Amino acid sequence: MELLFFLQGFRCIFQMTELQPLSQLQETDELSLNVQEMQFWLDKAVAWGQADSPDTRKDTCRHLSRLRNFLQQILTQINNTSSTAEIMKKFPLLGQFLGRLCWNPYVTVGETSRQLLFQCILGLYTEHPSNAVEKKANQWIQKVLCQLATEDDVAVQALTKHMGVPAKEYHVKVLQKMVMWLKENVENNHSSQSEVNQSILSGSEVFVPLATFPEASPVIGALLQQPMTSISDSLNEDFFDALSSSQSRYGLQLEKQALVSLWCHSLPSLEEAVLSLLKSVTCSGSAAPQNLEHQVTKSFLPEACAQHCSIFLVVSDIFRSVLKQNETSQPVRSVVQTVTRCVLRELSLLQPQTSLKDFFPQSPSSLLVPLLTMPSEMPQEALNNHLKWLSSSLQRLAEDGDEGCSTRGRHHLFEAWFLLVQCAHWVQMAVQLLVTSKPEDRDPLLWLLTFYHHPTNKWHQRALQLVRVREAWDHLHTLFSASVFPVPAAHLQPLITLLSVKPQQPSPAPSLTLDLLVHFAVFCRLKLNVSASILQTVVDLSGLRDGAACVLSSLHLRVQEGSCFKSGDVHLRIRELQKTITQMN
Amino acid sequence: MEAVLKNVSVTVELLAVAARSNAVSQWDEQTLSRAFHWAKYCEHIYSRFHNNTAIRRVMEQQLQITNQSLRHVFPGYSHVSFSDLRRCQHVLLVGLLNNPELPITIMKTLFKTPVNIINNDFEDVTGICSHLIRCKSACKVLRPLSALSAVGADAEVQGEMLMERLGAMLSQGNELCRVEHFLCSVLQDSEGAVQHMCLVIAAALLTAKGSAEQTASQDFLLEWLQSRHNLLHNLCTMLPSAILKELAKGHQKFRDSFCHMLKKWATEMEYSITEGEWINNSTNTTVTFQKLTEFFLLLFEACPSVRRNTEEEMRLFKISDGDFDVQGLSVWGDLLSELNK
Repeated sequence: MELLFFLQGFRCIFQMTELQPLSQLQETDELSLNVQEMQFWLDKAVAWGQADSPDTRKDTCRHLSRLRNFLQQILTQINNTSSTAEIMKKFPLLGQFLGRLCWNPYVTVGETSRQLLFQCILGLYTEHPSNAVEKKANQWIQKVLCQLATEDDVAVQALTKHMGVPAKEYHVKVLQKMVMWLKENVENNHSSQSEVNQSILSGSEVFVPLATFPEASPVIGALLQQPMTSISDSLNEDFFDALSSSQSRYGLQLEKQALVSLWCHSLPSLEEAVLSLLKSVTCSGSAAPQNLEHQVTKSFLPEACAQHCSIFLVVSDIFRSVLKQNETSQPVRSVVQTVTRCVLRELSLLQPQTSLKDFFPQSPSSLLVPLLTMPSEMPQEALNNHLKWLSSSLQRLAEDGDEGCSTRGRHHLFEAWFLLVQCAHWVQMAVQLLVTSKPEDRDPLLWLLTFYHHPTNKWHQRALQLVRVREAWDHLHTLFSASVFPVPAAHLQPLITLLSVKPQQPSPAPSLTLDLLVHFAVFCRLKLNVSASILQTVVDLSGLRDGAACVLSSLHLRVQEGSCFKSGDVHLRIRELQKTITQMN
Repeated sequence: MEAVLKNVSVTVELLAVAARSNAVSQWDEQTLSRAFHWAKYCEHIYSRFHNNTAIRRVMEQQLQITNQSLRHVFPGYSHVSFSDLRRCQHVLLVGLLNNPELPITIMKTLFKTPVNIINNDFEDVTGICSHLIRCKSACKVLRPLSALSAVGADAEVQGEMLMERLGAMLSQGNELCRVEHFLCSVLQDSEGAVQHMCLVIAAALLTAKGSAEQTASQDFLLEWLQSRHNLLHNLCTMLPSAILKELAKGHQKFRDSFCHMLKKWATEMEYSITEGEWINNSTNTTVTFQKLTEFFLLLFEACPSVRRNTEEEMRLFKISDGDFDVQGLSVWGDLLSELNK
């Protein structure tokens, strides 16, 4: 919940710029100012209607957002006034103004402005007219709307009538034809100097109201894929803003490359994409790991990040901000790790290879390569030492960060932790190794896990947490190397206690303990049925079936990918354990 | 079949009621939805049977009877033709919107923003007007941007529609006079838009030749054009030169008619001694000597083989004019020297 709230707040920052109503003026004397405003907008509508030139088109499109706000005000006013006669008395120009807007295609093409306009006009209709003004208004409303819907020029009327083609079918065909013609011209004339392209690019404002038009997306996509310089010069910010908001509100579908291009130009649309990915993962509760990877790939973000380092940097910054507010959120950490993994995979496919340093400019350079290396790229016997080294390096940074209390030290520490989250495959490897570790080897690995789960050492409790984790590990170690079966219930109790959440008492993240438990069950040397019975009892008594199933399936996925070393019949053991857990009631 | 005829007849009556009766004031959303359902039924009947000449004839007869009886009930009633059935929902909509008794609740339904913007195929009556206006507005917004295209999207779509209709009529074995009548009535109804109709015809002739049906339609159209001197004259004078050139390149028949017309214009020219130039004396054309030269050059560029024959012909005409190499004596001599500058 908290995370959702935060995400919404994050988005608000970017939407605030959109709303610039004339409301400051209006509050003092609503009536007279509205009349003044009405005159302003009527003058505008008259000017727009008088000449169809590139300048009037531009002016119309630039005013659309303010016009929508004004129409909203009018609608409120109409709804708050008791009769049409009364409102016509207050605003004699209202009818003329609304009528003129009806014939302005830039107003009637946009979903919101068209809807507001029709609502205003229909709001003026009086069901039981009691005077001449209202009767006249009713007639006018019907006439205007009828003309608007049915009027076409002579040739169109003659041809559609004689050929029996419905008007809608005809207009849809014309629209498709124009869109394809424009698309082809934009694509084929890469020199922005060509006459056609000049005219299209300089008229790009018209695509602002068309951004809500899925039918126009081919030409919008083609415009977005123009060479950067020509579009940055010609397409204006309104266009990108409109695209970005219509993507989220109307589901505008863009092709992959057009989308990437949009992200390059429009920060809000990139933020929207990242936040919606985070939202979809955090909302789905226990996100299945397979789905997560699918969702991440489907968002095209990894490809975009690999193609444009700048996109990756922005995405990372958003992740940083979200993680700073929600350091304990496992879904967010999973998203960060998955995105990073997918980006690295995309990068490895690109030629020429880019410098990883550019993608991780803030990460501690000594840790960068060791963490970005995949465990599968290393001999199995070197893993333990590698993890030990990582742990001690991080510990040193933590000491500086914790004790120095300097902003710089804390910043370094955060960046190191953030990189660890991005490369959480090493954390997962540490959990796996802990199953077979000797007691004297466990401490560096346990410290690494504690740091991963509790990066900020609030109230200097990392030491205490470390003690608890050690305790958990000791219990697990004893349980899974025991020789007496069945294990007495009393032996399981301390573990169950550790697994339960106690908000008052700082304890190691239950998820960490659960992680360890599941890994022990999979990788221990006990027979499968024994191991399964321990897991089943503990998970059952602590009510963590779903959590355990999730850990198991993500482990399964890692084994399939080959990102953790396999020992013996690990596939079989995971499958059997999954079965055991899901059969429980 | 009888049931179908009856349904169609009843729907046509419904269309008349929707457009003209005050009973519409009692309509609610359910009535509206049912009315559109019946209109859709007629569209379905059209698509099912329009290729079947026998059934088509029967239906046309039925429509005639229904139209006749409706004319008695509603003065000023405009009849519903068989091809109107193809756009029955649209006819219903236009009728309703023009009926002063249309209740505001229905108006509101029609002008709401449709829920599904893209695939609103009249599945739901809600917002059909809004959707129609949305499409029309988008076309208007994009039109200035696509103004640089040769014939324009409108004429192109209309040209395609024309070809499609001609193809259908010809392949159904309609008598040629019937098809000609169709072309004439289209032309007549679009009298105010002569230049645009020229573009439509050009677009129809320029649609990519694919099927035999299409070639047949284009041939028919060209044949028909040859007997319509005014229209041909308008085509030659009103179409942009790039399109004229394309037409001359693509169609021998058009090339011949065009060349014939140019020669006719040339014979109509007289030399004005006071102004020192050739002037067209005919009342129905304003083509100047310079324009005529340009047309000839355009024709030669479109089809270089025409040049030799035409110039040869011009030389013969020049000889018959006395074969003087003095400006102002023979229009052919002057054209030849102008063309070979």
